[in-house]
Amino acid sequence: MDITVQDSKRWMGARLERKEDLRLVTGQGKYLADIVLPGMLHAVFVRSEYAHARITGIDVAAARALPGVVDVITGDEIRTRVKSMRQPVVLPNLPAKYPDYHALAVDKVKFHGDPVAVVIARDKYVAEDAAELVVVDYEELPVVVDAEQALAPGAPRVHDEEADNEMFAMTFTGGATADEQMRNEAEVQRIFDTAEVVVSNRFRVHRTGITPMEPRGVLCDWSLADGLTAWITTQRPHIDRLALIDILEIPGERVRVIAPRDQGGGFGVKAPFYRENVVIAYAARKLGKPVRWIETRYESLMNVGQERDQINDVEIAATKDGRLLALRNRGIANNGTGQTGVYWGFVMPFLGQVEMPNVYTWEKGDIKLRVATTNKACLTPSRAFGHFPTRFAIERSIDIVARRCGLEPADLRRRNMVPKLPYTTITGEYFDSGDFLKVWDSLLRQIDLPAFRREQVAARAHGRYLGIGFACGAELSGVASELLVPMENQPGYGAATVRVDPRGKVLIFGGDAPGGQGHETTVAQVVASIFGIDPSDTLVTTGDTGATPFGAGTIGARAGSYFVSAVHKACAELKEKITHVLAHDLGVRATTEEFAFTNGDVIYLRDPSRRKTFREIVERIIMFPVNLPEGEVGGLEATAFFEAAKPMICFNADFCIVEVRPETGEFTIKRWATSEDVGNVINQNIVDGQMHGAIVQGLSNAIFEEFIYTDEGQQLTADFEHYKLATAADVPDIELSYASTPCPHTPLGTRGIGEGRPSSVPGALCNAICDALSPFGIEVTELPLRPSTLWAQIRDAQARQH
Amino acid sequence: MELKDEIRIQAPRAQVYAALNDPEILRQSIPGCESLQKNSDTEFEATVTSKVGPLTAKLRGAVTLADLDPPAGYTLAGEGKGGPAGFAKVKARVALDDEGATTLLRYEVKAEVGGKLGQLGGAIIDRTARKLAGEFFQQFETLVSVPGAAEEATVAAPTHAPRAASTAAVWYFIAAVALALAAWILLS
Repeated sequence: MDITVQDSKRWMGARLERKEDLRLVTGQGKYLADIVLPGMLHAVFVRSEYAHARITGIDVAAARALPGVVDVITGDEIRTRVKSMRQPVVLPNLPAKYPDYHALAVDKVKFHGDPVAVVIARDKYVAEDAAELVVVDYEELPVVVDAEQALAPGAPRVHDEEADNEMFAMTFTGGATADEQMRNEAEVQRIFDTAEVVVSNRFRVHRTGITPMEPRGVLCDWSLADGLTAWITTQRPHIDRLALIDILEIPGERVRVIAPRDQGGGFGVKAPFYRENVVIAYAARKLGKPVRWIETRYESLMNVGQERDQINDVEIAATKDGRLLALRNRGIANNGTGQTGVYWGFVMPFLGQVEMPNVYTWEKGDIKLRVATTNKACLTPSRAFGHFPTRFAIERSIDIVARRCGLEPADLRRRNMVPKLPYTTITGEYFDSGDFLKVWDSLLRQIDLPAFRREQVAARAHGRYLGIGFACGAELSGVASELLVPMENQPGYGAATVRVDPRGKVLIFGGDAPGGQGHETTVAQVVASIFGIDPSDTLVTTGDTGATPFGAGTIGARAGSYFVSAVHKACAELKEKITHVLAHDLGVRATTEEFAFTNGDVIYLRDPSRRKTFREIVERIIMFPVNLPEGEVGGLEATAFFEAAKPMICFNADFCIVEVRPETGEFTIKRWATSEDVGNVINQNIVDGQMHGAIVQGLSNAIFEEFIYTDEGQQLTADFEHYKLATAADVPDIELSYASTPCPHTPLGTRGIGEGRPSSVPGALCNAICDALSPFGIEVTELPLRPSTLWAQIRDAQARQH
Repeated sequence: MELKDEIRIQAPRAQVYAALNDPEILRQSIPGCESLQKNSDTEFEATVTSKVGPLTAKLRGAVTLADLDPPAGYTLAGEGKGGPAGFAKVKARVALDDEGATTLLRYEVKAEVGGKLGQLGGAIIDRTARKLAGEFFQQFETLVSVPGAAEEATVAAPTHAPRAASTAAVWYFIAAVALALAAWILLS
């Protein structure tokens, strides 16, 4: 009898309704703003209206005089009372010029929105009024917002202590030494010199990213007995805790960070360590009262969620029959001020260049990146971490090569795709497992391409412009320590504590801090499968550093790869103990595999009449630890850490069909279809939801969203009227399909999914647009994709043709 | 943001001169204007308060005149600061022509608006700026063209309450302040 398999079939992959949703859709979620402490004070930040200016004076007298105001804190006070933000715990192990900065601006402001002071008052509205009474005198300085201008000699310097604005530069190909890299460059040049086909394009991707429904927030409480308790909207409470310990110089045992169980999305925005955390913690300690700051949407759009913003000069050498030979890229990233802990803005473009070669086999590559500091807000991680601009550039370039060779872009991709894994790319990125061609072929089965080409020709005869576009890509499924230590100075392992309750329930504790991904449900399904209990018999606790094992946070699709695997490992340990004791009690010699955990029972498979309920046996081990097998002790709780030896990936491929109206440049997406390798699925609804959300985000980023700065560094898009997000009416139906390969490096064959998924979207979309407009010879090389821009390109092309 | 227009004022140039010499008339003409102050021959200060949209903006404006070519034209540069509400920088060219019984005033304004004011959007700014320009000159002309009004205005208590308008328009108050001050000094 195969009872275990039946049980795991029941829960693994099931479309179980999310445990979280009942409370969330009935208004019973408890977010940071729902947490209210007695005597709590409210903080409002005064932020710079200039992009670059010297602070010549701050007059807080009028603000202080307003009844209800408790304190006004400026950068001069912060500077003398707490350490700077540049502490080792939040510094990557990458060679960059990390700007030193304080939690509030000191001496000068460096972007529109830079925090200058904070007002603490008994009432939030009083604090807002008082913030308007803080008079800051500024002496304006020359502003630099363009990355190339920032890197040019003589540009205004964002950080006075640096000789120039080049914060980071790296060569990603050829070797570690300058000699090796120069030799490699020469070899790549030789390939270009003799190549039959060379394609060169400059790709620009605008500044866009992610806007979580719930903005950021911090609530800090200080007591003599317990020190600092900080509730923070965060994806990495354990790292925040370490940063607070180091910056505020509080003994570690006296700092506890709690990420609220319900967070309205993080998507990367809540992964860095922010200045506001330090200011609010400092204020709570100074005043001896709880202090809370809730970010407004205005502040959020001014300060965080801004990513991409990159130029890539991409050159590809190929044979005329479509074999890719060499890839050369010169990337320039616009980092903003570079003042954000953990990532410092440049870590995203860094990883984006690592992922530049995508899933294609290149003989050689020559890839370099320069990161410019500018008077914009610092880049913040945003879902599709780093590779949104590079994936767009490479996937567009592939289509341009195909057009030059007169080949079907889908065929050219397949021909050059990594055929067998594992594989290491020209930038050293490791692809652990999966089957790209299987996914690709499954995607192609969803469209009769020759029939579409006939339809396309027929439609053009009637003045209708149809096009199809493909794109694909691999992304990290969790980030292994091997990469996370250099990139973010943090461990990559997953950590979980599993505590079995004497009443037969299972409590799981994780050090990560989800923001709506459904950890409570997926982990419940995994635990239910292992112990043969119902998913409702579990409780998942995350985010509280006082209750959970140390974990690097909810980042980079770690849940399905690392967290779930750690849970599995801890459960396996407990399972072994349970069966050990049960075998002893039953008087049999049996291994763990000879017991089935199913339907709330633990059954001896050789004699299924010999069984105990799960509750009976766990209660016996926890509460009645007498007459145990020799060497065994009571209690059922285990903490496990999981780490794969190498980074792991997942893979996706898209196509879309569009119709473009040349008279206006407007377009309609008629189909959007995908194929995905997501490994083994725990909850199909959640996986589908990740894909839907990711593709919609990709479309929204590519078509609508754009953070706009004037030449003077004024940020003009600080509300949802000006920063437009896609709505349901703006996006097509999405046809999802799966052609998965179980991951051999996780115990359940699962992969972490959904983080980088938006990156393939702009490539597929723009490839379809350009395919539709191929009679005009239009190649889209810049985002966002606006009908007005397209219309101008079509008009110019028509003028050339006549 | 750019604004370009011409206004024919129904008063002889001499009377316009007199009115533009009168800070009280200017103060009453500029919506929300609280004070005008002359610091030197080419430097002026003005304060404008307005409750607009979600913001109460009190902008302190400083105006500097340059390229004086009386009475044909001049340029002026003005800057108003409103703290967290934002700021406005204005450059304007103004020309006055005598047309018998009337005076033709032509102006071109370029404005850069920053901070929260600037974030309200170009469409709102343009629309409101035109509306307020109309209001300014209507009030100005009323005061100028009514015989004796100038004299009355100098003794009358300020009656012009700060009016509600779009926040985005506040920059225009500064432009108007700058414009009026420039005309005043030019013609005095």
